Amino acid sequence: MTLRNALFGLYALCCLGAMTWPGYALFGNSIEPFVLGLPFSFVWVIGWVLATFAVMVIYHNTGDR
Amino acid sequence: MPASWIVIGISVAYLAASLVVGMWPGRKASGTAAGFVAGDRSLGLIVMYFITGATIFSSFAFLGGPGWAYKKGAAAFYILGYGALGLVPFYFLGPRAARLGRQYGFISQAEMIAHRYGRRSIAGVMAVISVAAFIPYLALQIKGAGYVLFAVTRGEVPVWLGGALVYGVVMVYVLRSGVLGVGWTNTFQGVFMMALAWGLGLYLPYKLYGGVQPMFEQIAASQPEHLLAPGLTAAGDPWGWGPYSSAVLVSIIGFSVWPHLFMKAFTARDESTLRKTVVLYPTFQIFLVPLFLIGFAGVNFGSAPESADQILPHMLMNMQIPAVLVGLFCAGALAASMSSGDAMVHAAASIAVRDGGVRALGWKLDDATQRTWIRYAVVVVMIASYLLAVMYRGDLVSLLLWAYGPVGQFFPVVVATLYWKRATGAGVLAGLLGGGAVTVALTLYPAGMPWPLHAGIYGVIVNLVLLVSVSWLTAGSLTTQDSGYLDVAGTPS
Repeated sequence: MTLRNALFGLYALCCLGAMTWPGYALFGNSIEPFVLGLPFSFVWVIGWVLATFAVMVIYHNTGDR
Repeated sequence: MPASWIVIGISVAYLAASLVVGMWPGRKASGTAAGFVAGDRSLGLIVMYFITGATIFSSFAFLGGPGWAYKKGAAAFYILGYGALGLVPFYFLGPRAARLGRQYGFISQAEMIAHRYGRRSIAGVMAVISVAAFIPYLALQIKGAGYVLFAVTRGEVPVWLGGALVYGVVMVYVLRSGVLGVGWTNTFQGVFMMALAWGLGLYLPYKLYGGVQPMFEQIAASQPEHLLAPGLTAAGDPWGWGPYSSAVLVSIIGFSVWPHLFMKAFTARDESTLRKTVVLYPTFQIFLVPLFLIGFAGVNFGSAPESADQILPHMLMNMQIPAVLVGLFCAGALAASMSSGDAMVHAAASIAVRDGGVRALGWKLDDATQRTWIRYAVVVVMIASYLLAVMYRGDLVSLLLWAYGPVGQFFPVVVATLYWKRATGAGVLAGLLGGGAVTVALTLYPAGMPWPLHAGIYGVIVNLVLLVSVSWLTAGSLTTQDSGYLDVAGTPS
């Protein structure tokens, strides 16, 4: 397994943990602070969707072609 | 009254426009089953992007999404949460499947799997599971379309009639053009839906509460539990982390192996198109954000709709909103329903004929006859789903979440088939049957679960155990067919 794949797998696990228990319950589950008018519990999930997009763009563009 | 004529006029014009867009490509696809089902493997990035996105965003997103945010609060975030990773497995599985499709001429998931093991029964079992999952899914789309027409005409068009009208149009363009029609219609509808969702999602909070943040502050003051995960149940009690987390997990597992979605691997022009579609997919997912805003706008709206799934049309009909905007909403919600429904009916019919009839039962049909039979199957699937839609009384999201259980059983099987040398036909069959049986049993008797998780999770665990253990027990020497197959899957074109 290459370093690229290992890092990608690690990210996927973190993202899964952050979207569910326990990551979401521990770190993302509060109303304050509001970000762009949205409660933090909502922004937390949106942030991980955007982070996945960024990671996929990087993963895709660093592949052998 | 003139306002309702404007609404109906815009909706009818929209249906006509999607019919024209959908019928157009029928001239270009070849007259074979591969042309009808896989679009001659010619779809480019833009069409692939919208076909993938729009197929998934359905009445489930457009009515069910706001319905959940409105009634269950943060529970709705599970839909966004699974979407973050849901399509990622397809980045790896899709190109492998596409190579095999090109080499062996596959146009369905079951065909691809059954071929490796040379067992027709696998195609049959997968066809039965697929069609059984598609019919309720399609019924939800039909019901969603019926809800929309019912709400915007203030009950003048009953749900059964609205569903029949809209799905009559869908049936015409699916019969005429096959998957290319579906592709271009979805592109057209996808653009339209995104614009509409953002428009309404920002307009309603602004109009009702003076902005997005004031809306959430008001909810936070009166019902803070509404904004905290894992949200609420339909009855208004707190939902648990177990069901929430396992709903996310089972949806991630099932998402990329939905047969109609997986078939896109065989319709894409090349591997790079497939991969880019996955990479871009989260941008489509962000389209759920305004839909949730719409649902949250309903929390302190004052009056309540008959069912939570109707919160969006309910608000529109009870506010001073220009008829043109209501008409556009109506068209957008119909687009959401149709762009999923068309792909599903198409997939279910192709699977029933090609996997069930030709593969499993050994019917001898040439290409043109297959195409004809797929058309008959389209009509049968449509009627079955329509009847279920008319009879079903529950809410839209729950049934879809249920359907993820059986569909999730395809995941371990697809991964093993594309990657694992030691997998055997007996192992795959045992996994599918065992996992499927456990899922169905625990869905029907939830009291049998040791922890309150989604039944599909237990099914996938049993599936994996059986798949691996039976494969080990039945493994002979690796056949040349297996190694040739995996070589094709692993060699980039």
